[in-house]
Amino acid sequence: MGSKSKALPKGISAAEFDKAVREMRAIVGDEHVLVDEEKLAPYRKIMMPVPDAQHELSASVMPDGVEQIQRIMKVANKYRVPVYPISTGKNLGYGSAAPVQRGQIVMDLRRMNRILEVDPELCTALVEPGVTYQQLYDYLQEHKLPLWFSCPAPSAIAGPVGNMVDRGVGYTPYGEHFMFSCGMEVVLADGQVLRTGMGAMENSNTWQVFKWGYGPTLDGIFTQSNFGVVTKMGMWLMPAPPDFRPFCIQYPNETDITKIVEALRPLRIAMVIPNAVVIAHTLWEAPCTPVKRADYYTGPGAIPDEAVKKIQAEHNIGAWNVYAGLYGTKETNDANWKIIEAVAAGTGGKIITQEASKGSKALEYRFDLMKGKPNLGEFGLYNWRGGGGSIWFAPVSQAKGSETLKQMQMAKTILAKYGFDYVGEFIVGWRDMHHVIDLLYDRSKPEEMEKAYACYDELLHTFAKEGYGMYRANTAFAEKVAATYGPVKRDVEKRLKKALDPNNIIAPGRCGISL
Amino acid sequence: MGVLAFATAAGSAAAGQWRDGAELYQKVCGHCHEANVGPVLKGRGLPPEYIQRVVRMGNRAMPAFRPTEIDDATLADVARRISSGAALARE
Repeated sequence: MGSKSKALPKGISAAEFDKAVREMRAIVGDEHVLVDEEKLAPYRKIMMPVPDAQHELSASVMPDGVEQIQRIMKVANKYRVPVYPISTGKNLGYGSAAPVQRGQIVMDLRRMNRILEVDPELCTALVEPGVTYQQLYDYLQEHKLPLWFSCPAPSAIAGPVGNMVDRGVGYTPYGEHFMFSCGMEVVLADGQVLRTGMGAMENSNTWQVFKWGYGPTLDGIFTQSNFGVVTKMGMWLMPAPPDFRPFCIQYPNETDITKIVEALRPLRIAMVIPNAVVIAHTLWEAPCTPVKRADYYTGPGAIPDEAVKKIQAEHNIGAWNVYAGLYGTKETNDANWKIIEAVAAGTGGKIITQEASKGSKALEYRFDLMKGKPNLGEFGLYNWRGGGGSIWFAPVSQAKGSETLKQMQMAKTILAKYGFDYVGEFIVGWRDMHHVIDLLYDRSKPEEMEKAYACYDELLHTFAKEGYGMYRANTAFAEKVAATYGPVKRDVEKRLKKALDPNNIIAPGRCGISL
Repeated sequence: MGVLAFATAAGSAAAGQWRDGAELYQKVCGHCHEANVGPVLKGRGLPPEYIQRVVRMGNRAMPAFRPTEIDDATLADVARRISSGAALARE
């Protein structure tokens, strides 16, 4: 039987590939290996501005268990075929379910969707890669457990393991997700199973409560990397607070970002505001409200500032919209609320409470996300330009007003040069900000795709020149983003890769790491 | 010991184990198609084959869904329900 795959891994003959696939079929069962082009269609759907062919997979293998993955590793080593592990594959705009390099076999872990343990006293969970946030949410509801988690915006279909491993962010006090993970199980390229932290010990019951263990802490090297396949992950859950008070503060001018950041930083560092605050621009809020771009602008290029002003006025959207919440008891929240009111008054912001938020879809989904209630409200963004093109440009900024204004102006200028709108937000860590910009374009138009690619490229290199690096990047730009972090780091990563995966079989090229 | 351990059952809906198309619609499709994000699907007499194809291929901003996320049988059921206007429970 000749190979049906049209995208073989680099340097692998059809005959060798077929043998590898046959052996994988024997491990997971015939129906859990796909090679037909038509069946592989869902893996091929990407939003990045590069041709589909660049991220075409050769096959998909869908194991259901650690032991199957161990055996797949052996086959991959034997035939030197690269496998690209995915969890829920819903990292839309960062690469989705497609492999980083053409020809890789996607190892789809979505069938491994067991919630293995929830400890309501210690507020921890242990989950597999295929568990979605919606599934975990339903589980906690069904079991009447008053526990919250933090999730990213595409939460209903994405999951905690993939998100934590990619170092994604959310919107509750546990919004820096990897920081609130605790303990991993990793299948290494040689088939060994490593449990990190306390999990390395036989009979330990502290795997999900103490991160560090003894000696070097290894968890970090399995995030944004390809040194192993993460098959279980612990996460901390937050007790639902007796009183939750979400709010939005709107500001009228783009340059207000300076005073917003200066006013919020002390509150965030002191944890008066405990959650990952979002400062969202008009053009992030508008599509999610929803507002139609065509009702305000149909000309070429980026939407003019006057049209943006008109949207703000007609839909009660700020130039900047700060989302945060108070999580505590009624008494503590009453006390902290006075601080919030004073800060808003002192900086010219208008507070919108939950009661006053009715009618806006944007406010509704934001308030839900701040208590970890999954939804897909943010996908409204994709209606702004239409055409299914999106990549996230996501540089890190200091939490200083002057820095955020500088980054916003740099990004807006470069985006406009290519005809794209500034659809951005800042997500506040304690001392940093994830400056997240959705580069939205029409992927059905080849010329827009080329422009979007060139635009990201210019953004990346202009920001790097100023010393600003990405917190996360799409797979099409993995190599270029990795290069901005300099040669020494990359050399260390390569040496680790050589030691842990000498045949380069786990996701070569992921985050720029390969032999 | 205060620990809820469900090593095999995966409690709530595991992929490939959707109760039926109605549950899938509520937990996945409805987040966009009942929320002003994606177009309304019900009551348009869309052919089930078309619905199934768009779910697997994606369409512009509509993400594609793999068989590991939505099994063929549940997909066929949800497509039939959307097409015929059969019950699609919502909370």
